[in-house]
Amino acid sequence: MAATKNKSLQQFDTDDPNRIQDIGWTFKEVWRRARGTVVVSINLITFFILWELVVIYADINPLFLPKASEMFAELWVGLTTRAPEGAVFSGSILDHFLHSFNNLMFGLALACLIGIPGGLLMGGNKYIEAILSPYVWALASLPRIALVPLFILFLGFTTKMQVTIIVISAVFPIMINSWAGVKTTEKSLLAAARVFGANRVQLYVKVVLPYTLPFIISGIQQGIGRGLIGVVIAELFGGSSGLGYLIQRSADTFNTAMTFAVLLLLIVMSLSLINFTRWLEAYVAPWRNVNHI
Amino acid sequence: MIKNDPIIVANDLTIAYELHRERKKLVALQNINLEVDPGEFVVLVGPSGCGKTSFINAISGLVPKASGSVTVRGSEVTGPGPDRAMVFQDYALLPWRTVESNVRMPFEFQDLGISEAEKNKRVKECLELVDLTGFEKSFPYELSGGMKQRVGIARALITSPDILLADEPFAAIDAMTREAMQAEMERIVMETGQTCVFITHSIDEAILLGDRVIVISYRPGKIKEVVNVNFPRPRMNNSDVKTSKEYAELRDHIWNLVKDEASQTNRGE
Ligand SMILES: Nc1ncnc2c1ncn2[C@@H]1O[C@H](COP(=O)(O)OP(=O)(O)O)[C@@H](O)[C@H]1O
Ligand SMILES: [Mg+2]
Repeated sequence: MAATKNKSLQQFDTDDPNRIQDIGWTFKEVWRRARGTVVVSINLITFFILWELVVIYADINPLFLPKASEMFAELWVGLTTRAPEGAVFSGSILDHFLHSFNNLMFGLALACLIGIPGGLLMGGNKYIEAILSPYVWALASLPRIALVPLFILFLGFTTKMQVTIIVISAVFPIMINSWAGVKTTEKSLLAAARVFGANRVQLYVKVVLPYTLPFIISGIQQGIGRGLIGVVIAELFGGSSGLGYLIQRSADTFNTAMTFAVLLLLIVMSLSLINFTRWLEAYVAPWRNVNHI
Repeated sequence: MIKNDPIIVANDLTIAYELHRERKKLVALQNINLEVDPGEFVVLVGPSGCGKTSFINAISGLVPKASGSVTVRGSEVTGPGPDRAMVFQDYALLPWRTVESNVRMPFEFQDLGISEAEKNKRVKECLELVDLTGFEKSFPYELSGGMKQRVGIARALITSPDILLADEPFAAIDAMTREAMQAEMERIVMETGQTCVFITHSIDEAILLGDRVIVISYRPGKIKEVVNVNFPRPRMNNSDVKTSKEYAELRDHIWNLVKDEASQTNRGE
């Protein structure tokens, strides 16, 4: 009845064929999609070529700065070979990478298992919040690196020690973000759910949790950054495996190309993980980023 | 039940908020007495902070009263119930749910003993009623303000509540769309025969929609005057109403009442 009246208020039916128009593959459209990748590729290629030229022509001591090509060669060899069976030390980047990566994933998983329920409980119950929050803030504000000697004392130069440091580094951003998500849940959404009959459990499951989900994901994103610092620190301090250890040893043995190769690998790993969580956040909560699209 | 028993009765209703930081109690509403008849459209006007939202929330069951009573069909309000639904100023739609799923939300929380097929039919009917057919799968962020509020209205109508509460539902909507929404509101309430308690800052909106306009005074909120509005319905697309002498007089009268109160707001606190 009101259907025709409101047409003027810029409404289309979703099945109105005029509402969605096919743009097709024009040159402009292809460029619009590929632009980002092309610009980044050219930028990086130029950067590495300049690096190569500077090292060659400025006659820089390869002990301080290897040629970019040497770094890539070292990276390629390191990633395609593995240590022989029974070797005490491995020179293979891949072996050390897998060690670090597995530790990081395991540590992050543990941090999520502790941090998410912890944050949700703190946000949901003021008694738990009152009891736990001083400890959470205390540990979160302490530079985590200061705890490393203590964990080495407790656990020795073990994988357990390394994972513990990752967990202690990553757990607080995850916990604090989950906590904040619960606390900042929009009051009007809660009021609406209550007016329409939601009980406490339903309020939690159907309003608070979905609202908090993107907060949790951005907590995990910060946790990845912190966790990576934890990985490297733990391995620099002690142990005989992992990328941190490899950085240490290659620098000690003046294999600077290897050091740079490992640094590059760390950058790539960190960026990949963080971009994955960005994508995940946009995927589960498209309403939060609608202004940026 | 006799037909003209009032459906909502506020009896010496007082609402107070505790301001813990200042160790004080703020009396938002004092000794409100009001009876609303079934099918009546009551509009509350008054300066900001005079307690309109508090009153409507006391009826919805979201805010506890300090003393006195609010009854709906003779029983004391102790919390939200399926006989009352609310439309919010900021829409309060769940952003992660589609239009359809938002409208269906009350069914998830209230067990009304309705079959799935019946629920689907109701969702379809309500979306049709607010003219949103075709947008079932859209998300709130993809809709304009007016469309979002129509989703809010459809959600409030889904369980066919006896009482519709609306807290400045069109305040955030542009003027053109607002007129269309007001017309739709009037049509829907006429069609469904619901009782409506409606808050607005617009005196025109109050006169065009209300059977009675209640003017509330500022701190503590009390009923200052009840103004009856007797224009025939539908009023929205009837230009005779807006151009009539009575309309202008009513408008002036209510305007003066509200203005007095508003100037108090500026002076005090
Ligand atoms: N939750 C609350 N806690 C403390 N004071 C409140 C709360 N809600 C409202 N108030 C106060 O009660 C008074 C009435 O508020 P409200 O009912 O929202 O008025 P209105 O809707 O007419 O603007 C205001 O002075 C406001 O500051
Ligand atoms: Mg209000």
